[in-house]
Amino acid sequence: MFEVRGLPGKIGLQLLLLIMTIPYAIPLVQMIVGSLGGIGFLNYKAVWDTGVVPTYFRNSVIISVGVIALVYVFSMSAGFGFAKLHVFGKEIFFWMILIAMTLPEVILLSPLFVTFQKLRMFDTLFAVIFPIAALQLPFTILLARNFDEGIPNEIMEAGKIDGANIWQVFLHIILPLTKPIASSIIVLTLINSWNAYLMPLLFLQSSTMQTVTLLPQYFQGEFTNDQTKILASAVITAIPEVIVYICMQKNFEKGMSAGALK
Amino acid sequence: MGIGKGNKSTRVNGLPWILPAFIFVAVIIYYSIFYTLNLSTLDWNGLDPVQTRVGLDNYKKAFGDWVFWKALQNTLIFFVCTFTVQNFLGFLFAAILHTEVKLATLHKCLIFIPTILAPATMAPVFRLLFSPQGMLQDILNFFNAGITVDWLARPVPALIVLMVVTVWQYTGMSFILYHAAMSQIDKEMLEAARLDGAGNIRTLASIVWPNCMGTTVSLAMLGVIGALKTFDIPYLITVGGPNHATEFLGTYIYRQGIRQSHLGYAAALSVILLVAAIGGAILTNKASKRGGK
Repeated sequence: MFEVRGLPGKIGLQLLLLIMTIPYAIPLVQMIVGSLGGIGFLNYKAVWDTGVVPTYFRNSVIISVGVIALVYVFSMSAGFGFAKLHVFGKEIFFWMILIAMTLPEVILLSPLFVTFQKLRMFDTLFAVIFPIAALQLPFTILLARNFDEGIPNEIMEAGKIDGANIWQVFLHIILPLTKPIASSIIVLTLINSWNAYLMPLLFLQSSTMQTVTLLPQYFQGEFTNDQTKILASAVITAIPEVIVYICMQKNFEKGMSAGALK
Repeated sequence: MGIGKGNKSTRVNGLPWILPAFIFVAVIIYYSIFYTLNLSTLDWNGLDPVQTRVGLDNYKKAFGDWVFWKALQNTLIFFVCTFTVQNFLGFLFAAILHTEVKLATLHKCLIFIPTILAPATMAPVFRLLFSPQGMLQDILNFFNAGITVDWLARPVPALIVLMVVTVWQYTGMSFILYHAAMSQIDKEMLEAARLDGAGNIRTLASIVWPNCMGTTVSLAMLGVIGALKTFDIPYLITVGGPNHATEFLGTYIYRQGIRQSHLGYAAALSVILLVAAIGGAILTNKASKRGGK
């Protein structure tokens, strides 16, 4: 967007970019430097030796996979239904789902707290998977519907002439065509479920049920005020996310921006 | 959020396709909303078998509660400041990275990584960074600035720190969106402007920025809802303190409902928050239809 001629201009722009980026790197540098304070890499060993890290990771993986599965199935089917099929009172259903998009999750706490205890779902991973999926769905259904509406009806008609029923049309025509939006939905859901903090904090009480976002808190209790180990646990939590992001850069950027672009 | 007109639907009944998702969302979300509405008319601590019905008293209490107004004020300041700074930076980054610069991918990654990291993971880092033991203090000492980084303990600086953290976290989002929007701008239009003698700043202000208006409006909508939903960052970094200086509606509802077991009062605050969120979304949507392309 800039037109820079000559060396001074080019260096100036590069310098401006550098100065602007440094503040973004500072917290990351602080995280790594801080985690190596005191006994250095042994902080990581101490964190690992507590034995809880794999458990927390396992729970986060189960939750993310569960949420993604629910969100994928429901947004793909509902997106197709809303975009391409005949439903009586369709827009009413749609707006009722859409309004839920504005819902702050803190509103769900008291009702779900009381209800989960009654249903004996408290302290199970379902108590986290269900509400996170429900909060994610309004948005992903909107994305899927908007995408599906761009698919020409002729493609579906052609399938039907070949004798395919609606189920086969969905499986063999719609699903392959919606791969781009599906990948955005999956990435977006992955980030939101992996990073979820409030629901696990409240609905998962026993230590064998907790998630990676609760790790720093656990170590605050474990190592009282030893910042270095708390930061080491933060690095351990962040590394897989950064690796997955770097491997799938394009998908992440598309996923994160899918929402705001019409 | 634009919703297309919808193509002519085929004559297959779509109800079975949307009903499972609808029921799933409705059972959890609408059940909770109605539960909260009912709860908001009670004086109840969640355990006591006796629930006292108090009508609209909880709402009256909220409107007379200075912390509630403080939280609302914080949300407003927070939205205006973070929205402005974050989008200005995102826009500038996008413009620079659309020019040929060295190490573009590295810069892009550094700006974007914060958006994927959990606030819960980063919170201990920020608590250290903005303390006298942190790196910021070292940097300031290096320049002999004579400033003590005790900002989290003081009301106004603490709020500013939370805004800085939020900008740090979400600039990547603004950047990616502006970057995508700028790819759509007609190259010939830019060249024509340059031939007419427009400099870089002029071109950015009168061609690039207006062409990104749709993105700015979308970001405003996300920003309004996001500001109202703010919870993780203040809860984890300042716990709403000192003395409610960084309280937001989310943290206050949590404090009242979960910590102090004032379930009825927390529910009334939740209903107000929900109305504000829906109202905010409708208003920005209206504004976008008028102001957008």
